Amino acid sequence: MTTLPVRPPLARSSDRVIAGVCSGLALHLGWPVRNVRLGMVLAALAGGAGLLFYAWLWIMVPTADEAARRSARRPASPIAPAVSQVAGPGTAHDAGMGPGAAGTVTPGPGQAGTVPWFRAGGVRYGKEILLGCGLLLVAGIMIAQMLGVDVSLGTLIPAAAVLGGASIAWMQLDETRRAGLVDKTKADQAGGWGRLAAGLALVVAGVLVMVSGSGSWEQTWLALLASVAVLGGVVLVLLPWALKFWRDLEAERAGRIRETERAEIAAHLHDSVLQTLALIQRRAGNEHDVVRLARAQERELRGWLFQDHGRETGQLSDRIKAVAAEVEDLLGNAVEVVSVGDAAMTEAREALVQACREAMLNASRHGGGTVSVYLEASDGQAEVFIKDRGPGFELADVPADRLGVRESIIGRMNRHGGSAEILSTGDGTEVRLRLPAAAAQGAEGKS
Amino acid sequence: MSTTQGTGTSRPANPVRVVIVDDHAIFRSGLKADLDAGIQVVGEAATVEQAIAVIAQQRPDVVLLDVHLPGGLGGGGREVIAGSAALLPTTRFLALSVSDAAEDVVAVIRAGARGYVTKTISGAEITDAVFRVAGGDAVFSPRLAGFVLDAFGTAPADIADDELDRLSARELEVMRLIARGYSYKEVAKELFISIKTVETHVSAVLRKLQLSSRHELTKWAAERRLL
Repeated sequence: MTTLPVRPPLARSSDRVIAGVCSGLALHLGWPVRNVRLGMVLAALAGGAGLLFYAWLWIMVPTADEAARRSARRPASPIAPAVSQVAGPGTAHDAGMGPGAAGTVTPGPGQAGTVPWFRAGGVRYGKEILLGCGLLLVAGIMIAQMLGVDVSLGTLIPAAAVLGGASIAWMQLDETRRAGLVDKTKADQAGGWGRLAAGLALVVAGVLVMVSGSGSWEQTWLALLASVAVLGGVVLVLLPWALKFWRDLEAERAGRIRETERAEIAAHLHDSVLQTLALIQRRAGNEHDVVRLARAQERELRGWLFQDHGRETGQLSDRIKAVAAEVEDLLGNAVEVVSVGDAAMTEAREALVQACREAMLNASRHGGGTVSVYLEASDGQAEVFIKDRGPGFELADVPADRLGVRESIIGRMNRHGGSAEILSTGDGTEVRLRLPAAAAQGAEGKS
Repeated sequence: MSTTQGTGTSRPANPVRVVIVDDHAIFRSGLKADLDAGIQVVGEAATVEQAIAVIAQQRPDVVLLDVHLPGGLGGGGREVIAGSAALLPTTRFLALSVSDAAEDVVAVIRAGARGYVTKTISGAEITDAVFRVAGGDAVFSPRLAGFVLDAFGTAPADIADDELDRLSARELEVMRLIARGYSYKEVAKELFISIKTVETHVSAVLRKLQLSSRHELTKWAAERRLL
């Protein structure tokens, strides 16, 4: 008995020509997408079985997005908040594909070569190829008729209308497709409804012509009128039910969203706060560890609660806060960062951050209490002040082989066109770092 | 918060009467234990309604007020100050919060609080802050100073500007030093002025923060939710 291979769940992929059924199926079965598509076309020619199968899968199989949403994600462990904060932003948007699709489209080992081929040949020109095939088919039929072969246009055209209308209408059900449309052309709900109506009209007209079986315009027109009247009546009768059903559905969906949010918050609290509380209880004897854990957890929770997601991240103030968090974790003394203004990161500003880190480490190690850090960035100039309340020191008294202050702070700032000043008295030490706009911009131009 | 460390605030002869308003009983009892003997806690409250009633009954010198409180119309500390408006000249409010949201702080300061400190503050520091507020001064933490600088801008006022919408060069210097973690005494030493002058500058900034119609202030606070 062979062991069953682990298959990815069946979901419609965003790598698609019509609705992503074939590529989703290929992913699920581990077959090349090309073969699946070819098979589907062949099956469609065999009395329309492929078409039926395709439509059935289209309706029944969720998109990759929906499937991903069903398996809720849990937040990463926050016990190393400094690390997770640095790594956090940016990863979700880098993939360059549809939202949420990045994880699911990854091809299995067997298809690594075929998927790129399809990406170049299939997806980019997929619609055009499909359209071309359709036009060729029409041309073929016309030529066949000219050559005297009897093709009954009377059934072919209505059938095509029904098929086309149905797929136009179904495409509206496709969430990813609609999202794509909204993104690309700013088409809103109105456009969607228009397409739905057009699809419906095509199907109704096609069915009528097929059923009535006559090309007579008069008769078709009458039948159309009658059927529209009947449809209108049915809609009138069913509308209240439909509305009620719709409202129930909406209410249920809202409830589910709330439930999901609650579950996410619960998961986050569990993974962060409860874990930290457990750690604190186990280490209740060690005051130093308790304070450190509480500070780290506070920082993480604050970041999660108050982070402004619309704000640009990776700015100078974010870097300095991240470095402060790192120093806090390392040495256990609180590092309070107050920032005014902000600036984008450059090579020179990274040097400023590193010098700042060194100063914070010194302040925390030798000052022994809370370290105050103040960042002011305006018009490209950045100033950072690092203050502690330790016993202070004389720069001249520092042994020549200790490079922390001389090299990592003063030397580094000077090399990047900035300056560093150290003021130390018996009441504490303040390190003042300054990076003028010209220095920061110059480095930006070089890199 | 280290602004008030070792500034030698003169203690009033009579004990300062204080009401603590916070919805967490653990925090209230912890705070009570931390406060100096020169401070007499005359009442406690956990909700907006209780707070307004206790303050009206006790008429304390200082109210230690949590920004987020249950009850009332949901306005929290701001609502307590508004509800005690008649007592404002004699009763002073010091806002206490774990929240870093600028909207909360702006709301409570503009409602009339004389200062804002975070709940992680030590017992000695809060005692000092209470004495300072009781004496009519404003209490600024480095965070609040940073917020003021961010909201008002770091360029000094032009003569043409509305006086309330900008900080003077001296006020900016004072705010910068407080944001850098300097105590009032250290600020005075650094700028070669007296502590009393520093207090005057800080009170002037507080007044601007409370009265300025500068539209950026509220917009800024709403846009940027972090101090």
